Amino acid sequence: MSPVEGGRLTDADRTTLSTVLDRLIPAVDDLPGAGKMGLAREIETRARRNRRLRSSLTAVMDALSLDLSAHAAGGFNALDTDAQIEALEIVESSIPDQFAPFLQLVYTIYYMQDAVLKRVGWTTGAVQPAGFDVEPFDETILANARQREPFWRKTE
Amino acid sequence: MSQTSQEDQIADVLIIGAGASGAAVAWKLSEAGFNVVCLEQGRWVRPENYVTGDADWELRALTDWSFDPNVRQRPEDYPVNGANTPITPLMFNAVGGSTIHWTAHTPRFHPSDFRVKSLDDVAADWPLTYFDLEPFYDLNDEMMGCSGISGDPANPTRSPRQMPPLGLGEDGKKLVAGFEKLGWHWWPSDSYVNSVPYGEGRGACNYCGPNGLGCKVKAKGSTDVTYWPHAIENGVALRTRCRVTRVTVDEDGKATGADYLDRNGRLRHQAAKSVVLAANGIGTPRLMLMSKSDAHPEGLANSSGLVGKNLMFHPYAVVMGLFPESLESWKGPQGNIFMSQEFYETDQSKDFVRGYSYQIVRSSGPAWHARGGFDGPVPWGENHHDAFANRFGKAIGIAVIGEDLPEEHNTVSLDEQLVDGSDLPAPKIDYTLSTNSRRLLDDGIANAQKVLKAAGAIDVSVNPLLKAGGWHLMGTARMGTNPAESVVNEWGQAHDIDNVFIVDGSVLITGGAVNPTPTIQALALRTADYIVRERSELKSEPTQVVSE
Repeated sequence: MSPVEGGRLTDADRTTLSTVLDRLIPAVDDLPGAGKMGLAREIETRARRNRRLRSSLTAVMDALSLDLSAHAAGGFNALDTDAQIEALEIVESSIPDQFAPFLQLVYTIYYMQDAVLKRVGWTTGAVQPAGFDVEPFDETILANARQREPFWRKTE
Repeated sequence: MSQTSQEDQIADVLIIGAGASGAAVAWKLSEAGFNVVCLEQGRWVRPENYVTGDADWELRALTDWSFDPNVRQRPEDYPVNGANTPITPLMFNAVGGSTIHWTAHTPRFHPSDFRVKSLDDVAADWPLTYFDLEPFYDLNDEMMGCSGISGDPANPTRSPRQMPPLGLGEDGKKLVAGFEKLGWHWWPSDSYVNSVPYGEGRGACNYCGPNGLGCKVKAKGSTDVTYWPHAIENGVALRTRCRVTRVTVDEDGKATGADYLDRNGRLRHQAAKSVVLAANGIGTPRLMLMSKSDAHPEGLANSSGLVGKNLMFHPYAVVMGLFPESLESWKGPQGNIFMSQEFYETDQSKDFVRGYSYQIVRSSGPAWHARGGFDGPVPWGENHHDAFANRFGKAIGIAVIGEDLPEEHNTVSLDEQLVDGSDLPAPKIDYTLSTNSRRLLDDGIANAQKVLKAAGAIDVSVNPLLKAGGWHLMGTARMGTNPAESVVNEWGQAHDIDNVFIVDGSVLITGGAVNPTPTIQALALRTADYIVRERSELKSEPTQVVSE
């Protein structure tokens, strides 16, 4: 695994990223983890369009490539699951300002997937043009609030 | 009526900035027949192009539709050096300005906000009262369209609202029960969001939620759909993608117009008999400091040395309650449920002066929940899915909006290294949260926890200071009667230059404990009214210049 340049990943990096994604968002019910769902390429593509996200992806991948235990094992993918999680925790704590936007990107791409939205009960997709139904305001709920005397501070 | 090219035209009034206040002034002056030109560095952002109809809307909120110009990085944005502030300044550059991005929660200042020195011996009194401003609040409500209901005991009686309040939603009703249980004030928010159709071509809110990303049905009152159509119809020449580089002055120091870079990067000059600055509480002092001249060596109208000083935000804390059942808390505009002003006024028994409001805030889409909303992100790993399920649609937030008093060491200055896309110096922010603000927020947090528990929350989390909360930019060219202690007079007119006016949040002396935009717009209308009444010599024969 080599450090990433300019947010563009090598095939090996993409394999690593997929494994990372599976550790961050594991399989649930009938859904595979985020990596096996094939989200690595979309994350890479989206990150390239925004300097902050590109920088965070690069930083996380670089940090993983420099992880000593991963080096000793022959790369992040060669670590067992617990060691991968530990390596990720170390990266999260060592570069929190870069890890946070990376995690935001991963979550956002994951929760854009139709199968994921269906599982969590979000049936709308984009919020427009349908919007949502909310009952009109019913003034009777103000009955108590209206009883209170004005209490704003008077001035000259 | 003659027709001239823009090169030949000397505007009666040149407005810099087409946002909340610039639009209001443009409309008011054009109604009175003034020949008005407005330069705006952003573009028109058409409602049909807002991203809430796109599948990737939650990603766009993180990137090219972020509230933060440093994240958004559009060509029309300028960077802001925010390394020395715990609160990130937020803004949007477009026709409509930050009203494209706001949630349009529109309370008014209280009468006491104009008398903080007399009442609490802090900061300074305003040279006007709430009741001086009231007719302009009313006019602005009418133009923007206000949903709400009169009778709030926390405020002076208001004229009837244009529309009934927005629906409370299940989440709103749940939290109302908590406030009622404690006997605390609550009232439906005044909002510039249509609860029923209002205004030309503007529909009713369909409760989609994230109106901070722009409103596709024009239910939200952003000035591109409220003031601007009327102003343009009146003949205002609104020129977009025009970045002003400096306000120009003659040898006597009077404003003569402004130099600007047009959309092709060509340096041009717009001549004008008077100049109105409406570029927000950071953009305006930046431009004034960039406009140094022999007559104004410290920056435009800066003999007091106060341009860029006394920056105020509204520091926000957010307390989030998790409820056991789904409240579908994504349904409805995010910041427009209701508010409480139980703790607005100074309480002598507390260890701080002034007070705070509570603004009840909704959640948003699935990714918003996972990213943490106003709190930290949902944990990654094996517990992720359970933690997400416990939060999704079950979270209600209480935003504590504290009054931030002016302090001279909180500043906007020009960065010596960072520049925008035109090589103009970026603004640099130096800001420290005061002890009074911290105490006030802590009190707000403690009381918010009580009310969330009273409403049935099973878990409560606290964000003690919202970093991405610098929506309100105020105080950096403040109003006053003494030229040594203020930049503009009670009409927004610069003490040093009688043909320069400032109408954005810069002029606020104090910030109150509410969203300030209706107050800023009301002040802008009042300034425009003054120009119409007292500066008729600025008005020339009608001409017509085509907007670009």
